[in-house]
Amino acid sequence: MIRKYVDVICLNDKGGNMKPLYLIWDDARKVPIKKVKEICPRASLKVGGSGLRYTCVFEPNRVRHLYFDRGKWYVEMNDHVV
Amino acid sequence: MRKRTILHCDLNCFFASVEMLYNPELRNIPMAVAGDPENRHGIILAKNVLAKKKGIKTAESINEALRKCPELLIRKPDYNSYQYFSELVRNLYYEFTDRVEPFGMDECWLDITESISYFGSVQNIVDQLLYRIRNEIGLTLSIGIADNKIYAKLGSDLATEDSFRYINSLEEIRHMPADALLNVGYHTYETLKTFGIYTIGDIADKPAAYLNEILGKYGNTLYCYANGNDLGYVGKIDDEHEEIKSISNSMTSVRDLYNIDDFKIILTVLCDSVSTRLREHGLYYRTIHLIVRNNKLEVRTMQTSLKENSDLGKDIFDNAVMLFERNCDFSIPYRSIGVAVSKLSSKKDICQTSLFEKETYSLKQKKQEVALEQIRKRFGVNSISSLRVLEDSDLSHFTPKEEKEYYSFHNGR
Repeated sequence: MIRKYVDVICLNDKGGNMKPLYLIWDDARKVPIKKVKEICPRASLKVGGSGLRYTCVFEPNRVRHLYFDRGKWYVEMNDHVV
Repeated sequence: MRKRTILHCDLNCFFASVEMLYNPELRNIPMAVAGDPENRHGIILAKNVLAKKKGIKTAESINEALRKCPELLIRKPDYNSYQYFSELVRNLYYEFTDRVEPFGMDECWLDITESISYFGSVQNIVDQLLYRIRNEIGLTLSIGIADNKIYAKLGSDLATEDSFRYINSLEEIRHMPADALLNVGYHTYETLKTFGIYTIGDIADKPAAYLNEILGKYGNTLYCYANGNDLGYVGKIDDEHEEIKSISNSMTSVRDLYNIDDFKIILTVLCDSVSTRLREHGLYYRTIHLIVRNNKLEVRTMQTSLKENSDLGKDIFDNAVMLFERNCDFSIPYRSIGVAVSKLSSKKDICQTSLFEKETYSLKQKKQEVALEQIRKRFGVNSISSLRVLEDSDLSHFTPKEEKEYYSFHNGR
């Protein structure tokens, strides 16, 4: 597995919270994030790195972890997909 | 006195662990983090478990390490990342107690005496610390638990990776070599060995008066350390900001220094940095220390005191040059220089003002130094410097602050 850095469109609300809304893939595809189920500090032992882990629900009901580490977003990804 | 519970938390091979955290593939090969050999900082700063098995030791040169293990992968240090993770871990400690005293970048003492009733038990706190550091940050800890700081530190040395170790009595650490004890360095250990003292048990068995004879007043401290009678207080949040005892900067130069001009170039940059940091904290110094190391790695320390305290870089520079000229020559070239100021106070001495030159001189000098600082703040460190520094930009091209962090970590080991 590899660490894949991605572009993310977020909503920064009045309370200072940050909510990822869309993930933008390399081919400019905009993937909507239906729901954020959990936010917690976590290290990613599979691909390396550590930061805030957002457990997100993508269409159609697929749960993925999105990591926010020092200003950058990344996802864990199988290397054969790249 | 109520029995205290002190933890000593030591991040396992910290620099190497941070590198492995971002590059998991490094976990399977012998790897070490080392300084830049071109700048003559080429020593091993940290290594992973596989490199340790091959006999690689911290502080040995890269060449020596590669001789032991030719396939060793060397990575350059990334101090910003280490600083970031060090703060992250420290903030996590603060969730358990406000008494956290850092010792270098990767070690901390935690006094959890008052937190035990809140968290249930010592074991609970230790388990949570290990679990959270491993899962939330991705690093591992060794924790030593004892009723004093010294035994707690020895406990963390004995504990294996990602585990803890209680030290309840002298018997558990009796066999450890004397240099495992805090503040026992190479020279003290050599002195102790000549008197047949090899282990911590040996120190504890000797009467304090005997140790005093060998080591001077430090013998008493060592006796207390070995017997676990250390009453050292674990600092509170922000204590370190309140009590700065000395400010120092040191630098290993890119090439050896053969004459006084070379020496003055480096000294100018160091003195500028020390005086800027002094003024940032609003402090004045009275004692100036000069530390020089020649290329045979022999260290020499000199010091002098001023009649009245000062915050001027010029005074540090003049006195350091005076100390050097009085005590050293260039029969053996020098490779590193350090400047430190101590006996700090937050107030300028109230003293009889001199009627003539001195007062105007120091006021003028201070105005000049403050003006230089303001220019550097606005336009960058290299925007203005004295002509001497421009003579050899290879020698003067360094930022003392980064060097400071590098050294403070190593002094903490």
